[in-house]
Amino acid sequence: MSTATERLQLPLPRPNVLELAPLYEVLRREAPITPVTTPAGDPAWLVTRHEEVRLLLGDKRFGRSHHEPERASRITTAAVLDGPTGEFETEEADHARMRRLLTPAFSAKRMRMLSDHMGRLVEGYLDRLVAEHDASPDGVADLHSTLAYPLPVAMICLLLGVPESDHELFGRLSERMANTTIGEEAHQAREEFLRYMIGLVETKRPQLGEDVISDLIRAQSEDPTYDYAEMVRLCVGLLFAGHETTVNRIGLGVLFLLTERSRWEALVADPDGRVDAVVEEIMRLGAPGDLGLLRYAREDVSIAGVDIRRGDALVLSVNAANRDAEVYSDPEAFNPDRPERTHLGFGHGAHFCIGASLARTELRVVFAALAHRLPGLRLAKDLDELRVRTTLTGGVAELPVTWRSL
Amino acid sequence: MKVEVDLEKCVGAGQCVLAADDVFDQRDSDGLVDLLDASPPEARADDVRHAAAVCPASAILVKD
Repeated sequence: MSTATERLQLPLPRPNVLELAPLYEVLRREAPITPVTTPAGDPAWLVTRHEEVRLLLGDKRFGRSHHEPERASRITTAAVLDGPTGEFETEEADHARMRRLLTPAFSAKRMRMLSDHMGRLVEGYLDRLVAEHDASPDGVADLHSTLAYPLPVAMICLLLGVPESDHELFGRLSERMANTTIGEEAHQAREEFLRYMIGLVETKRPQLGEDVISDLIRAQSEDPTYDYAEMVRLCVGLLFAGHETTVNRIGLGVLFLLTERSRWEALVADPDGRVDAVVEEIMRLGAPGDLGLLRYAREDVSIAGVDIRRGDALVLSVNAANRDAEVYSDPEAFNPDRPERTHLGFGHGAHFCIGASLARTELRVVFAALAHRLPGLRLAKDLDELRVRTTLTGGVAELPVTWRSL
Repeated sequence: MKVEVDLEKCVGAGQCVLAADDVFDQRDSDGLVDLLDASPPEARADDVRHAAAVCPASAILVKD
């Protein structure tokens, strides 16, 4: 058998949106860094064990740029996670500047101050969910469109200074950018999104406000080494991420909680006392998308007995690492009380999710409010009947729920 | 217990603030860690150790 035919083809097929491909367990044990073919048809390494995923995320010999970008392995056909990003020579400095600009705006303290505002928004969305439920002849309402989607969108619009009234436009663009089934159209969506953002930036420029995009416009105009196109890409990235991550995580969390009654009842019994641990378990087990985080080796590196060459692509499977039996007892079990309190759901190292505190605060507010207000909540469809999104970022397209007595 | 933070390593993730906000804060200027209490009481040991464990930059050092 030639090496080419031995390569696994990504993505590994999974049984449903909550479970991973069983093969990951075998890979962690027998081939924690294994050669694969990416969905785009190029070679890469798939890293599945917690130890190496965490190590590589914290190692500066691995980055997001490539010394010869045109020769780099492509990962997906979507317009995110498709290939290298940024300048090879200045990656670390560019990244440090970005973190410096964004970190204060997304700080834990700032997010905590916003939690009352989030709470009021969530109460309003739940009022609408209840109204939809009461008006429906079968007592079914869609939690995806009334709560999971609008909250993260409203919050990212507020923080970035983007008009929420444009949400249908950039929501559609985000969806197309992440779509893995439409080929070149995903890249067209990215171009449209960049054009939309340039229009917004230039509309805002004469009257800058107290928001992240205004901050970035100011910083870019004062720093001759800060490229305009790079700033616009960052703004698109933030708005995209504000849609495609927490929305899906709320959906996955609802599914984890409602597909096993005892999980939901445990939260309902003590929403405020239990919600933090529940959110962390949703962050550990929730596995949107079937790939992982992307890195390119900046130099030759030998790790876990595998020789990785400069320029090689690595897909770091956070999903697999978060279920590693070497780290987590009974790793596939949803158990908020588990003794292991850390996970890689927000990444690790220098690229750790800048929106982690925002996402955590949103998730805590959402799940505490749901458990308080709708203790009888249950799914109105089987897990396998739910429409799954064909995007890199995964998740479901609907969450029909009910609480009408049977 | 004694706590030290390394500002060179800190990436401003804010995980320590969520874990123990009486011991750690983030500076308004750059979001990097602000150590409020370098000798937290023993009652806070679990949360402080948790803060060190979840720090994505391994920027928190805890000494007993």
